[in-house]
Amino acid sequence: MINWKMIAKIMGLLLFIETGFLTLCTLMSFYYQEPDFSAFIISTSITALVGIPLTHAGKAAERKLSRRDGYIVVTFAWIIFSLFGMLPYYISGYIPNITNAYFETMSGFSTTGASILDNIEELPHGLLFWRSMTQWIGGMGIVIFTIAVLPIFGVGGIQLFAAEATGPKFDKITPRIDVTAKWIWTIYFGLTLAETILLLAGDMPLFDSICHAMTTTATGGFSTKQASIAAFNSPYIEYVITTFMFLSGINFSLLYLLFLKGSFKRIFKDTEIIWYIKTVALFTIIITIGLLLTSPMGLEEAFRRSSFLVVSIQTTCGFITADYMQWAPALWMLTTVITYCGACAGSTSGGIKCIRAVIMARIAKNEFKQIVHPNAILPVRVNGVSVSPTTKSTVLAFFVVFALLVFFGWFSMMVIGLDFDDAYSVIISSLANVGPGIGKCGPAFSWNALPDVAKWFSIVYMLIGRLELFTVLLLLTPAFWRKR
Amino acid sequence: MKIIIGGAGAVGTHLAELLSNEKQDIILMDEDQSKLNKMDSNFDLMTVCASPTSIQVLKNTGVDDADLFIAVMPEESRNMTACMLATNLGAKKTVARIDNYEYLLPKNKSFFAKLGVDSLIYPEMLAAKDIVDAIRLSWVRQWWEFNGGALILVGTKMRETAEILNVPLHELGGRKIPFHIVAIKRGNETIIPRGDDIIQLHDIVYFTTTKKYIPYIRKISGKESYPDIRNVMIMGGSRIAVRASQYAPEHMQIKIIESDLDRCHRLTDLVDDKVMIINGDGRDLDLLLDEGIKNTDAFVALTGNSETNILACLAAKRMGVAKTVAEVENIDYISMAESLDIGTVINKKMIAASHIYQMMLDADVTNVKCLTFANADVAEFKVKEGSRITHKPIKDMGLPKGITIGGLIRNGEGMLVTGNTMIQPGDHVVVFCLGMMIKKAEKFFN
Repeated sequence: MINWKMIAKIMGLLLFIETGFLTLCTLMSFYYQEPDFSAFIISTSITALVGIPLTHAGKAAERKLSRRDGYIVVTFAWIIFSLFGMLPYYISGYIPNITNAYFETMSGFSTTGASILDNIEELPHGLLFWRSMTQWIGGMGIVIFTIAVLPIFGVGGIQLFAAEATGPKFDKITPRIDVTAKWIWTIYFGLTLAETILLLAGDMPLFDSICHAMTTTATGGFSTKQASIAAFNSPYIEYVITTFMFLSGINFSLLYLLFLKGSFKRIFKDTEIIWYIKTVALFTIIITIGLLLTSPMGLEEAFRRSSFLVVSIQTTCGFITADYMQWAPALWMLTTVITYCGACAGSTSGGIKCIRAVIMARIAKNEFKQIVHPNAILPVRVNGVSVSPTTKSTVLAFFVVFALLVFFGWFSMMVIGLDFDDAYSVIISSLANVGPGIGKCGPAFSWNALPDVAKWFSIVYMLIGRLELFTVLLLLTPAFWRKR
Repeated sequence: MKIIIGGAGAVGTHLAELLSNEKQDIILMDEDQSKLNKMDSNFDLMTVCASPTSIQVLKNTGVDDADLFIAVMPEESRNMTACMLATNLGAKKTVARIDNYEYLLPKNKSFFAKLGVDSLIYPEMLAAKDIVDAIRLSWVRQWWEFNGGALILVGTKMRETAEILNVPLHELGGRKIPFHIVAIKRGNETIIPRGDDIIQLHDIVYFTTTKKYIPYIRKISGKESYPDIRNVMIMGGSRIAVRASQYAPEHMQIKIIESDLDRCHRLTDLVDDKVMIINGDGRDLDLLLDEGIKNTDAFVALTGNSETNILACLAAKRMGVAKTVAEVENIDYISMAESLDIGTVINKKMIAASHIYQMMLDADVTNVKCLTFANADVAEFKVKEGSRITHKPIKDMGLPKGITIGGLIRNGEGMLVTGNTMIQPGDHVVVFCLGMMIKKAEKFFN
């Protein structure tokens, strides 16, 4: 039986947390004395007012969450957070269309970073701040944040954590889940703070520094400028952001070991990180050489542009310093390949993740070996430990579902009326939470031109992608709702 | 000397047998009466049918005046517990058999001594080391390094190509030769040679020498055509197989053939990527051919069954494998396996027993190795101030027949010994002797 009362209570509490975030933006708006102040006041009040009856409804609830309840909680948390998160945009009138407002909010929470805004600079500070904040909360996860601050989930916490964390498995760094969540958020906060300071040192205004730091560590990709990072025109800022995007693509449990335990050895022995570094280096070199051969750029500029692009796409951040659609087609084609790979599990990035790519590559390699040695027992080793058959099949299933979703979405987008390459790029960009795509959805354009149906499609794909496919898709299976 | 042995398994019984022949007071403990019955009726020792981890039993057997307590039960943790109890009840020295490489690390030695476990013995690890030493140099039957390689013992079988056949040893080039022949194994007999002995075809000859003359030994033995070992096939995924593959040098490609599927999966967790696990029966010749036995340089048979190991090695030899190693746990089969032309024979019990045996020697012995099929002991003595051996040159010492000095290590440098050599205090002397004459040899060094 699904414990609806408890779910309602949790939703209510989540809305209170969102109210807290909105209040912060209200204060920001009050400080700048801008016209979005009243919209924030109304949104904050609505969110709080809906939260009260929900928590009240769950007052007598049994404090118990089953596995099914966990999946419902996580999926609905994201849908509802986005629903109330769009209120400031809509009420203030800066995004008067509900589809667009919801798209922008979901793109924020899922850290996709695709925007329907054609003139970001006209937004008041309060809304810009809220826009960056949605990504910051979504990056590490709404539920993980809640576990860190409120002990409301009790025993079910671990299920929720696993449902929201990225990657095929997650490592607890402390025995208790709420302590783990606190540490992860501490590192997350620390990274954001460090980047803010470094950006300030590069003469970026304080407000922009905070906003960009939040969206970098979340690997989200919302900028306060229409031209994204290119607007600042500063190599220093580009290198700082490249570095922090790269760090945010690393497994946070390993960052914990690195920063708090000083254990460098573990980091450089980790199979996934080695792959992550290798793939980033490989693609950077290819694109740098490509740029040197096909464009008038010098070595430094070519390296800076290519490393920024590769890290930005691989961590699924989606910041832009150059319109790569102007480059040789083979180079921007590569960006769609990099998207598939993704960064490390347990980070804020989306996509398939290196760990799954490693496991799949090794399974494929073993298949060839197996033909020559039919009786050999060939393990797939990650960090020296062989991967269990269950994990192997989960990884393969993940990839199959990912591919099927891409093809289904691609087809549907073309039915809606998109071109061949636009349709593909919108789907892969949404599902992997990247942001910019190719063609008409490339870095030089917003996604506003898409038909409304396409935007809703894209919203669903962003959510599915952020919660790593299975969590959301599970709710669509009949077996989940059957009472046995 | 009163010695209590806990656990009448393979190592325990062999050790009890060995020590009781040495006229020591042996008490063998085990919970299984059937294991003890055979020992009780055949050897001069006392058996106690009880748990070696029981305090009351230990007290009753008189552990308080025991000189040595040896725990060689199958379970590591029971051995450790038994040793801790024994130490605290008054045993002077304890030895525990273990199954964990981590415990052997030198940094943990004092920690275990504090707990009451003085020495640790890991038979699988010792056997694995012997196997790797044996296959690293395919032309060598026995390879033993003294003092980190300053002096080396090499045993190799004489084939038709050898240059030193049928010549009395004193004619082999006078005293300038850079090696010393310490033992000859001919059929079932072991000879500690004198000047007028000759080397015959199919003898196994044991040389001591220093590292730079190894190629010379290889040349005079006529073994220059033997290949270096790259591909190794191990039959049977036992604990020794796991240890051997971990201990093998990087350039060796290892395949382990194991018939039990569950064990295969377990093995994948224990070894790394240079080892390939094959599920199948090592006696299936088609499987061996499929897995490239023709390109294999060494074949190691480590199943639990001695007969299977011997036959598998013979089959592998037929198919052209240069080097074969068989684990033979049945001691009576060892000399037979040897005469059947199996390269190296490994016996876990004897390796373990010789290591424990070293611990009871009164002299400051750092190394005793039991040459499994030569029936000889090799011991390394540290010469004490004023001991008998330092008084006269070696030729005037009157060493008994059956004892020879293979060489000595002075200030870390290995050197060979002639009749005129004077041994100095502080030297490490490598001594070879037949049977258990090591006790006699000890007198010269104390």
